[in-house]
Parts: sequence; structure tokens; C-alpha cells
Amino acid sequence: MYAKLAFRNIRRSLRDYIIYFVTLTLTAALMYSFLALGLSPDILAMTENMSMLTTGILILSALIAFMSSFVIGYAVRFMLGQRKKEFAAYELMGMEVKTVRNLFLVENGIIGGVAFLLGALIGTGLSGLLNQVIQNIFEVPHTYRVLFSFRAWGMTLFFFILMYGFGMFRAAKVIRRQKVIDLLYDNQKNEEIGFHSLLRSVLTGLLSIAVMVAGVILLEKGLHIQTNEALLYCGGACLLILVAVYELHRKIPVLLYLLAKRNPQRKYREENLFFLGQIGRRIQSSGRTMAVVAILLTISLTTMFIGLTMGAGYKANMEAYYPYDAGVAIDAPLTKDSMNSVLSFVEERCKVEDSATYYLYTVPGKAIEALSLSDYNRLREILGLSSVSISNNEFLVHCDTWNYVDDIQQRLEQQSEITLNGQTLTVAETPILTEPMEQYQMAGTNGYVLVLPDKVASQLSGEKIRLVMKLADGGYPELRSELRQFLNSGAWLPDIQPGQELPEKMTMGITVKAWGVANSLTGFTTLSFCGLYLSIIFIILSCSVLAFEQLSSIDKNRKNYAVIDRLGVSSQKQVALIRKELSTVFFIPLLFPIILTVFLIAGTQLLFGKSFLQEGLVLFYGMVTILLFCAIYLTYFGATMFLFKKVILRPKIR
Amino acid sequence: MNEVLKLEHIQKYYGSKGNVTKAIQDISFSVQEGEFVGIMGASGSGKTTLLNCISTIDTVSAGHIYLNGTDVTEITEKQIARFRRENLGFVFQDFNLLDTLTISENIALALTINRVPADEIDGRVREIAGKLNITDILDKYPYQVSGGQKQRCACARAIINQPKLILADEPTGALDSHSSQMLLSAIQSINETLGATILMVTHDAFSASYANRILFLRDGTIFTEIFKGSNSRRTFFEKILDVLTMTGGGVSDVC
Repeated sequence: MYAKLAFRNIRRSLRDYIIYFVTLTLTAALMYSFLALGLSPDILAMTENMSMLTTGILILSALIAFMSSFVIGYAVRFMLGQRKKEFAAYELMGMEVKTVRNLFLVENGIIGGVAFLLGALIGTGLSGLLNQVIQNIFEVPHTYRVLFSFRAWGMTLFFFILMYGFGMFRAAKVIRRQKVIDLLYDNQKNEEIGFHSLLRSVLTGLLSIAVMVAGVILLEKGLHIQTNEALLYCGGACLLILVAVYELHRKIPVLLYLLAKRNPQRKYREENLFFLGQIGRRIQSSGRTMAVVAILLTISLTTMFIGLTMGAGYKANMEAYYPYDAGVAIDAPLTKDSMNSVLSFVEERCKVEDSATYYLYTVPGKAIEALSLSDYNRLREILGLSSVSISNNEFLVHCDTWNYVDDIQQRLEQQSEITLNGQTLTVAETPILTEPMEQYQMAGTNGYVLVLPDKVASQLSGEKIRLVMKLADGGYPELRSELRQFLNSGAWLPDIQPGQELPEKMTMGITVKAWGVANSLTGFTTLSFCGLYLSIIFIILSCSVLAFEQLSSIDKNRKNYAVIDRLGVSSQKQVALIRKELSTVFFIPLLFPIILTVFLIAGTQLLFGKSFLQEGLVLFYGMVTILLFCAIYLTYFGATMFLFKKVILRPKIR
Repeated sequence: MNEVLKLEHIQKYYGSKGNVTKAIQDISFSVQEGEFVGIMGASGSGKTTLLNCISTIDTVSAGHIYLNGTDVTEITEKQIARFRRENLGFVFQDFNLLDTLTISENIALALTINRVPADEIDGRVREIAGKLNITDILDKYPYQVSGGQKQRCACARAIINQPKLILADEPTGALDSHSSQMLLSAIQSINETLGATILMVTHDAFSASYANRILFLRDGTIFTEIFKGSNSRRTFFEKILDVLTMTGGGVSDVC
């Protein structure tokens, strides 16, 4: 009988439950997809350190379960509010509180169960996408394939029960403590409205701004410190900024409200008086929640931006740093034969599909090295690029560092000729080429290189020798240390060019792409995925809290809108007022998170923009962050608006 | 005297096919400008339905209602808001004040909705508050004042735009006898000094005795009508009681 009643109640309250259900489903979907990713044997097998991702996702899932339980608490408060009279009727008919509580728990159990199943199903589909993204990052050939894992299902269920169980425990406590009289008359109670004085709000606001500025200064200092002390600075700065965000979101709405009410022209304009009354109550009753949401949104937006930019930036840099599977750079005038034993050493360990040994020539009197055209074209061939040609009295510049290109272009326009060993060369028809070639070690050491006709290059001194290799299956991470050991052991005997001497200190560099991926990309992928996981869930939770804050007072609002309806405010005006009211409540907590994110994007572009070897990357991911955030936020706003409008503008008899 | 309100053969049915409830059978009457009309009747007699139809909150099934010459039953959804703003004032049993606004702001709300210039508003609010003796509580919130004061605030809000007709639905229903008496005196004073036309629904004979004319409803029709004329309020009250006894209505003490 009770199960039947529970089912009927769910059907009847479907509209009230929709945001709650969507939030639960999305949380379960995200939880499953990330857990499936973190626990996938294929992903874990990609690199040695991939277990970092598992640990990160597990820790975050526990945190998310904890945070979600509070949101469920909010949802429960809303649903109890909606059904107080119904519960009172049950109790008045003689139903025991325990039975009412069980009825509510059964209803919620059904909703939670369906949300979990649907969420896990959606999550399974989503895991295929995430899997593809990771494989794409690690440049593994990939197709869409869902990650199905019983372990991930089990873990998702565990975290889901944890968060849901805690939420339900709180609900049971609330129902047990509610008296029939409260259930019957609670919605007739008045809310008291009272604010601190304008002066006090102004002073606290100013103090908060000072705290925020101090935080930003501390952060700027922290970013320029190279020791562990930087962590202390950055941690302190973040704390100060978040405290300021909280206080400013508590005080600025109050300040604006008080100022608007002090100005009769503004206060009495059209329906402003009603709007201010509505907002005043919101600020009073939900001010703290909105400030907490502002903190969550600040964390979400910054985490998402940092995660996305770090991940993409590092991938861009990796592509530029490791265009070759393996490379050896020795800054000494050695013969090309010196590299044969190195090549044989590698050949013994993995198949070398292609290789090139070449010199970086010293250009007299210039801080730039040169490559001969034939060596340059060999490198292009290894990288799968088409060869280029220049005539015997021409030169070109290769520069894959985007922020140098404009300067070089200008210099070449000013000086289109160079003279080397008495021969004058003019700039080629295509003066600059920019494909990724790694120009800080292998194809140059300054971020650019001159490409000269072979005859001209051969007259220069080849004081830096390089070997690049294309390996079967891309090689393996340990090759780097093995090569290092080989080069430093007595087994390798360098052969010096005739008439040259070994420098006092010989600089050697070894690059192995597989090592770079295993040691660096894993960490950054973990960071960006964890960042994305945390931020998306935080945004969803924040939106849910805001939605439930609105919906929990829907009855009171309906009454207030009924009053202005009778006073002659048209339906269109009422819709506009609802939109204005909800927009204000939804967008107040966005104020500083958005300002701080814009500052963060601008600051990152200014301080680190040039470190990323892909132009416009910071701004692009800044935009992606804001758009992704807006998509989630506006969906929740739209859903809340829809429900709000539907309930409040429900025909009042007519 | 102008005819402010005219009802012609009003009918109101609820439900459909085989399950029709006739809330109003056939009601016709008119109200002159400056009149204070009371509508009485037992529960289910159609009082509130009638008030809802006049106030454009509900629609009629048949018949016409003219307010100042405008047929209320022909008004479109779009015109309703403007019509209510310009012609009607409401006083409800449960006050319907916004607890988010102060008493003064609750009164001012009706003016702002009617687009009264901002610099006139405070003066007009103080003026009406003075007449209803609520000046001292203007800066308080509804939850900080008594039921009687709340209802006087609701009255002030209803009359501040000088509507053609003030509709009061059981205005004393939630008040104690002292507050009821104060409120009714205030309503009477509004009627007499400001010339406001008032239509008040009540089931309380004492409240009704403040009106000039009473319409008694029974089963959705006007059963009878009595006028105060030159009688004292006490005599009129007794006449009301006589009618109620005849119709089987309730009795309330007169003080």
C-alpha cells in the first residue's frame, strides 16, 4: 500500500523532483565515467605513473560525495517544504511519524535508484568519450569504446550511497523533529528582514577589497618564487582571495539593495519596489548560501581554466619539444661517425626506422646557428613534411616559436641580405617556415635557425652535432637513461673533427619522447582531468543549490505575485519580474568568480602566454572554460525559470 | 448619482456534463457611486463567487457585468491588468500584504504600479496613512504590527489610487472584535468622506451593519435586499439579524 502511495506521490511531484533528479543523474554519470577512466586497465597501462589519475579521481569522488550530500540536504528541504501539508494530513489521519518518514525515504530511494541507474548508463557512454580524449592526449590510435567496469560501478554505487545515505539521514531527522503544527502553519510564518547599516556594509566591503588586493599581490609574489616558499605564498593568497570573495558577496548585494532603497526615484520606478522587496528577502535568507556558491564557483572556474590550459598547453609544448622519437645533442665538434655507435646502441634495443646525423653550424658574429639545406630537408622528411628548395644565393629562417615570428619578419624586411664568408645571400621567396621542429636543442638552440645552401653551410664550422631517430612504436621511456649511461661510459668514444679540440665542458642532451610522455604528460593529464571532474561537479552542485534555494520559497513567491496580479500588474510584467528576480539571484554569486576568472585568464596570458608554444592557447581555453560554465549554468537557470514561471503564474482561478 | 456597477442576469456554473454546480443562478443588481453595499449569505450561497466575477478574478458563465460602463465580461486577458489597476481596489480577509515591504512600501506599491511620479508617492502615502491612523507604523514590516493595523494598511493600499469600486472580501474575518470595529469605522469613513464605492462580502451581521444596503444571497440568487435608510446602525443590525434568522444565518453580538 505504502509503495503504491510512494509511486503515486512521485508521479504527482514529478515536476518538483526534476532538478533534483537531473542533479543526481549527472553526478552519478560524471562519477561513473571518471571512476571508469581512473580504474581502466588500458588507461593505467599507458604509462607507469598513470595510477596518479586513479588516486586523484578516488580522492575527488570522496570529496564530491561529501559535498553532494549537502546539496541533497537542500533538495530535501525544498521537497519537505512543498509537501508539508500532505505530511500533516497523514499525521492527522493517525499515520505514525515513522511511517511518514519511511514513505518519504521509499520515494527518495526509488528516485535515487533510478537516477543512479540512468546516471551510470549515461556515465558508461560518457566514459567512451573521456577514453578517446585521453588516448588522443597520449597520441594512441583510438576509436570510441565505452569503458565498462564492475569495479567502477561498485565504487560509484558506494560513493552514491554515501552521499545519498547522508542526505536521507538528514531528511529522516528533519521529518522526525517536525511537529504537525509546524507542518500545517510553517508557510504562514513571516520572515524578518533586517540589514546592517549602510556604513557597516561599506566598511566591510572596502576591507574585503583590501584583503582581495593583498591576496592578488601575494599570489603575484608567489608565482615569482622558485622555492617551496612559493606554495605558502600561493596557499595564503588563495585563502585571502576566497575569504574576500565570500565577504564581498555577502556585502555587495546588501549595499546595492540599501542604496537602491535610499533613492526614491529608483525605488518607486515601475515595479522596482516589489522587485526590491523580493530581492531583499533573498539576500536576507540566502545571502550566506549565495556567498558559499560564489566560493564554489570561483574554485570551479579557476580549476577548470587551469586544468584545461595546463593540459592543452603542456600537450602543445610536448609536441614542440618532442617532434622526434629520440634525439642526441652534443655541443662539440665531433665527426658524424661518432654517432654511428650511438645509433647501433639504440638499434640493439629497438628498431630505428629512420635517422639523421647533422651539424648545427656556427654563424660568425651572429647569435644564430645554421642548418644546411640537405640536413634541413632530412629533418623535414623524418617529420613527414615536404622538402623545400632555395637557390644557391638564398637563405631562409625556420622558427617554430610563434612569438618570435613577427620580430624575425620585421628584421628580414629591414635587412633582406646577409654576407657569409664573402658570399651575399638574399632572403628566399618564402622567408620563414614555422612547422614544429624543436628549436631549443635539435634544430637550433635559440628558437630559430638559418637554413643555408649546402655549399655555403659547408664553409662554416660545425661545432654542434645532432642525431635524431624515428623508432618503431615510438621507443620506450627507459631508453633515455640507458642512452645517458652509454654516452657517459667508456663504451662510447667520440671522434673529434680534424684540427678541432674538445671543449672543456661538453654539453650533452638526450630527448626520448616516450620518457617525456610518461613523466610529464601523465601528471598534467591527471591534473587537468581531476580539475575538470571537480569543476563540472562543483558547478552542477552550485547550480542545484541556487535552484533549490529559489524553489523552496516558491509558495511564498506565488502569494506575493498573486498580490501584484490583483493590484493590476500584467502577466507579461510578472514574467519579466520573475526573470529579473531569478537572474539577480543566479548572477549575484557570479560577480567575482567571473571577474577573477577574467583576471586569471589575462594574468596567465601575460605571465605564461609565451611559455606555451601554441599561439592563443590561453585565451582559447579561457573562452572554453567560460562557455562550458555558461552552458551548465544557463541550463539550470532555464530549468529553474521554467518551474518558477509555471508555479507562480499558474492561473489564479481565471 | 452615477451607476458604478451593474450586473445583468449573472450565472456561474462549475463542472461539466452531469456534474454541474450552479454557484450563481441568476443575479442582477446595480450599485450607485458612493454606495456601501454589503453582500451576505450562508456558506455556499455564492458570495465569494460573485465577488470574484465582479473583480475579474473569475469569469461568468452567462450575463454581463458593467463597471463604469465597461463590460467586465468582455475584457480580454491583456486588458485585465490595466482594468484592475484603474478601477478596482481589493481588501482581503488575510490582508495580502507583502512581508518583504514595510507598511509604507506596501501602500506605495499600488501607486508605483499605477506609474505615479516618484516624488508624489511619499506625500500621498502619508496623507492616506493619516486618514487611517497608521502613520506611526509606516516604517514597520507587516509582521511587526497587529492584524487590525495590517488590514488598515490593506485598506489604504486599496483606496490610494481612488478606484471606482472597492471590493472587500470578509475584511474582518481575521480580526478580533475591537480591531474589527476600528476597521469598519475606517471603511465607513472612507465611504462617507472620500465618497468611495464599496462592495463588501461578509457573513457577519455586525460588519454588515456598517453598510447602507445589504443583499442577501441564497442558493446563488438574491433572496432579499434591505436598506439602512435613516435607521441607526443598531436598528439596521437588528433588521439584518431578522433576515438572517429567516434565512437560517448566524448571529454575532453587537456592542
